[in-house]
Amino acid sequence: MILPQHELEDGRKQVQRMTAILEIHDLHVSYRSSGSELSPALKGVSFRLMPGEIMGVLGESGSGKSTLAGSLVRLLPGNALVTGGTVQFEGKDLLQANPDELQAIRGRHISLIFQEPSLALHPTIRVGEQVRQVLAAHGSRGKRTLNERTRQIFAEIFPEETDRISRSYPHQLSGGQRQRVLIAQAIACGPSVVVADEPTASLDPTTQMEILGVFRRLRERLGLAMIFITHNPALLSDFADHVLVLYAGEVAECGPAESVLGLPRHPYTKALFQSTPAVSGKPGTGRKAKLPVILGDSSRSSLPIRGCCFEPRCTERMEICKEREPSPANLSVSHTVSCFKYES
Amino acid sequence: MRVRRVLTRWLVTLGVLHGIVGFAGFFAPYDPVEQDRKSPYLPPMRFHLIDGQGHFHARPFVYALKLREGSFDRYVENTTEPQPVRFFMKGARYRLLGFLPCRRHLFGLENTRIYLLGTDAYGRDQLSRLLFGGQVSLLAGLLGAGITLSIGLCIGAVAGSFGGWRDSLLMRLAELFMALPWLYVLFAIRAFLPLAVSPLRAFFLIITVIGIVGWARPARLVRGVVLSAKERDFVRAARGFGATHGYLFRRHILPETSSVLLTQAAILIPQYVLAEMTLSFLGLGVPEPVPSWGNLLSSLQQYSVLVSYWWIYLPALAMVPFFLGYLGLASSLQERGAAYKIESRIWGI
Repeated sequence: MILPQHELEDGRKQVQRMTAILEIHDLHVSYRSSGSELSPALKGVSFRLMPGEIMGVLGESGSGKSTLAGSLVRLLPGNALVTGGTVQFEGKDLLQANPDELQAIRGRHISLIFQEPSLALHPTIRVGEQVRQVLAAHGSRGKRTLNERTRQIFAEIFPEETDRISRSYPHQLSGGQRQRVLIAQAIACGPSVVVADEPTASLDPTTQMEILGVFRRLRERLGLAMIFITHNPALLSDFADHVLVLYAGEVAECGPAESVLGLPRHPYTKALFQSTPAVSGKPGTGRKAKLPVILGDSSRSSLPIRGCCFEPRCTERMEICKEREPSPANLSVSHTVSCFKYES
Repeated sequence: MRVRRVLTRWLVTLGVLHGIVGFAGFFAPYDPVEQDRKSPYLPPMRFHLIDGQGHFHARPFVYALKLREGSFDRYVENTTEPQPVRFFMKGARYRLLGFLPCRRHLFGLENTRIYLLGTDAYGRDQLSRLLFGGQVSLLAGLLGAGITLSIGLCIGAVAGSFGGWRDSLLMRLAELFMALPWLYVLFAIRAFLPLAVSPLRAFFLIITVIGIVGWARPARLVRGVVLSAKERDFVRAARGFGATHGYLFRRHILPETSSVLLTQAAILIPQYVLAEMTLSFLGLGVPEPVPSWGNLLSSLQQYSVLVSYWWIYLPALAMVPFFLGYLGLASSLQERGAAYKIESRIWGI
């Protein structure tokens, strides 16, 4: 048990009330390149994260996934510039918060797990100490309580070999174990939101499933909300509650996992799922069959100045797609698609 | 592994050399300022085991030197009286390491005086002066390098962590300092200061001046390390978990500067010893009678000394093993840094 009982109940109550814990509205982020030229990475992304909800963010390389993760807690590279929008967390706009407030929020309320578990841990500090330092950063509680809490967290994440692993250095651990250490750091202070930026990208499929299991268990126990960023749609089925599909910095489709993954509406989402190899050999999709690809690439040069950003690669393009940008159309209460096909 | 062995070898060599200089009082037979006016410019004495009659002595002995007949500066050995060398004998008082009062010396003679490296114009023992002079020169190098590295670390860390206009300002200042002809700057600064100052004050003065002048290079190197350390994934990850700037600096960034600082120290120390020697040689450093390697050599400015008394050169030779030791240490430290990087790439750290 990581959180005290009353905090757990608080989490459940919040789920029932259904007020968004994190609300991103019209977020614009650009990167400044060598000149004064700005290349946009996020162009008006909006979504709401409910308490205890797992939001899967799907998209190919360069679609702005990592920029989204970084901008939530303002951990962007130096040349990034938030040009507009709000990130509301517990009634506060994180984009307006000062560095000290942000430092107190990071890790305590919102944790960010980075891509590469082998690089995200300090190579010469024992992992137990690294988890302890996260606790210490958010209020010193005396040496003994601190050590006790660290042990509890480790016991939660590593039911076996708790002590051996907490005394190890990162290079003595496997990729999956390092990722678990990062998760331990992320949940150490009992945050309400965990943002995981491709946490399983460098792991093998078995370990990926294990890590998803850890996340699922933690969500059940702690009621934490998650933003899970990935490029692999297969990971999101029966894991995510909501799925957000990003394309070139814009939300292509956003909705409940069953409906987005089960019946994708946006041409990009459809194409994305078609390009995924089937797990079991369905007829026609065996080894010999060619995997469909999305023609073209998402690099900036192919972006039109006007019109839908997916238009050049879209197989279902219409005349109107070249002329103006589609606005999000509501298919149901929570399912929106940015495509003219669904605009009324 | 091999790198580590080489590193250890250099460290042991330097340790032994510094030990000898550090315990100069014990290894030197006499006080460095004690004069023997009767025997100026005495050449080095030799150890013997077999005397003039062909008898073998188990205990090594020396012959006292006397003026050759008809000469005023040529000496010959007085072979009638062998002077056996005594070990661990009591002699002049000194303070071991600067504070422990002590009288034991490694060796000495009962009746006359022993000059293994000859004497200078006042009949002072060259060996004792060499050893005690090493203390002054090496301490100047160590303290000067310490000052330089502290200033360099502070300025480099500020420039690297804050960036922006502070960075630009400090780095332009560093470039200015690097462009200065520092030897002449030292002359100029020394020229402003009073000529007759006590040896101790003069010593600290030149250390401070030497130390302050050289901050630019370490500062630039530290800044580079800080800049790259700031962008490491584990530093970003730690920030994602709410690490404060102070913590990141202490635990993540500062340790990374250590290899640069160590290498710089190994390069700067001999450089600063040489700077002290230059100043003292020119009479701007530590004044007589306090010995330092620089002012031991300063009598070579006289032509007659330069051509007649070769043992006055010996202090210049004495610094060679020290410098080689420091250079070897610097290069193996650098190699160790490189090896660490390669290793960490292999292990995927």
